[in-house]
Amino acid sequence: MENKTDDNRPSRREQRLREEQLLKRPPDVQKLEETMRSSRLVMGGFLGPDKRALYDIIEEDVSTLGRLGYLAEEVASRMRQLTHLGAQGLGTSVTVEGRFEVTIEEHKGLNVCPWPHGGGVRKRITTVRRLDSGKVLRWTDLGVHMIQHHGFFEGRGSLYRLEPRELVENIF
Amino acid sequence: MWGIVISVAAVSGMGAALALLLVIAERYIANYGECEITINESTDDRKVTVQGGQPLLGALVGQKMFIPSACGGRGTCGLCKLKVKEGAGPVLPTEEPLLSTDERDSGVRLSCQVKVRNDLKIEIPSELFSIREYKATCARIRDLTHDMKEFRFELVDPAKIDYVPGQYIQLLTPVYKDNEETYRAYSISSDPADRSAIELVIRYVPDGICTTWCFKYLKEGDEVRFNGPYGEFRLAKNVVPSVFIAGGSGIAPMKCLLHQMKNEHSGKEVTFYFGANTTKDLALVDEMDRFTKDLSSFKFVPVVARPEPDSGWKGDTGLVTEALARDLKDASGMEAYLCGSPGMIEASIKVLKSKGMPQEKIYYDKFA
Repeated sequence: MENKTDDNRPSRREQRLREEQLLKRPPDVQKLEETMRSSRLVMGGFLGPDKRALYDIIEEDVSTLGRLGYLAEEVASRMRQLTHLGAQGLGTSVTVEGRFEVTIEEHKGLNVCPWPHGGGVRKRITTVRRLDSGKVLRWTDLGVHMIQHHGFFEGRGSLYRLEPRELVENIF
Repeated sequence: MWGIVISVAAVSGMGAALALLLVIAERYIANYGECEITINESTDDRKVTVQGGQPLLGALVGQKMFIPSACGGRGTCGLCKLKVKEGAGPVLPTEEPLLSTDERDSGVRLSCQVKVRNDLKIEIPSELFSIREYKATCARIRDLTHDMKEFRFELVDPAKIDYVPGQYIQLLTPVYKDNEETYRAYSISSDPADRSAIELVIRYVPDGICTTWCFKYLKEGDEVRFNGPYGEFRLAKNVVPSVFIAGGSGIAPMKCLLHQMKNEHSGKEVTFYFGANTTKDLALVDEMDRFTKDLSSFKFVPVVARPEPDSGWKGDTGLVTEALARDLKDASGMEAYLCGSPGMIEASIKVLKSKGMPQEKIYYDKFA
């Protein structure tokens, strides 16, 4: 079986393998979920008022992406690209690709990923406004990391929750 | 039925036995007892005794030795690095991303990740011995912009603080919801001549643990705690013409440096480029105007990227680096002081070097 389709998009098999990778649970999921519900790392936690289990949230979002024909890493890559282009503004708003107004806000220090793999990411907030519709999306470097490496878009009702469909429909 | 009862009893009994085994193991195997830490053996030769099993960072804080940390011991900021000469064991996976090869070869470790399991020999900069913990009262909270406030903390114990303008402190965020206590670093912005208080400029971070507390919970009259001072960012002792470049809350240490210059009657020629997205992001403009009157050779250049149409803005527009490139001709005999995001600093350094400024004359306090 070929691993790539004619247009070089990942095949269904490769998509499934990558989804399985994202859904791989760390040894102590309960502890991870407790950390994510608490305000230990960010005020209000990463799950918001969403009562679903962490990996139910991830599974549903990753499946939604799959039905839309995208992988989490593709979405994260595009988000990073917009952040990178917006960073040229040094904190001021810039027009990107003639379609978006992007503003990057950076703060002192690093954000920590709740998954137990160490390291930190810059405390940057990217605000993207579509010039045609006025639609505004906002994400952090940590959010992009969690989407790419863990398929996690945050729980419904949390401050930085991004609906996969809304994201895909607006940033590509 | 008796079979079920016996089975349940058997399983419960095994569970209880396992729990007892764990308690015994924890008491006798995981109990590292008291451990001695020797600090700077060849110079200060200080020895402290701590309870084993805890992170080295926490053990030192417990002995009132405050090692910088901005991530609450999670192994992400890299500020708590120190040299462990003996007793630390192998470098942990959680340390690796933040240690260079040279650092690893010379025994540098993240003190928040190293557990004290036996006697240790470590080296720390001697100036850390002068780091103190302070109790203060929040005397004033002042709005500077829509998302920045200035906080004035008047010292209680000790009553005075000594610091070099440009340094920062670590502000303790207490438990106020379901967070844990955590420290965040902020540059001191106040007049260093006033040793009975410090002022900080803090910009709100949505969802930030510390800034949420500062902006939504902290009130005038509340007690606060912080430790410090830390950092190497400071004014060189010369009268070389200089540029200051900052954005957002990066104005904080610059204000402190300007107070220092005023107090010392410095004739140093300084032009301060302050970048803002809109006019409502400009902070401390009145204070900068006062410095313009008080200092013989100080010029303040606010640069607004997108002035609002009805703002009547007549000053510089665009990026702060564009204004810098426009104004600077030959920077070979100058120096620069920068505070802000890594992106702003990197872009500014590029411009400064293109105008002839040597790298070693560029001093900066990066946000990350």
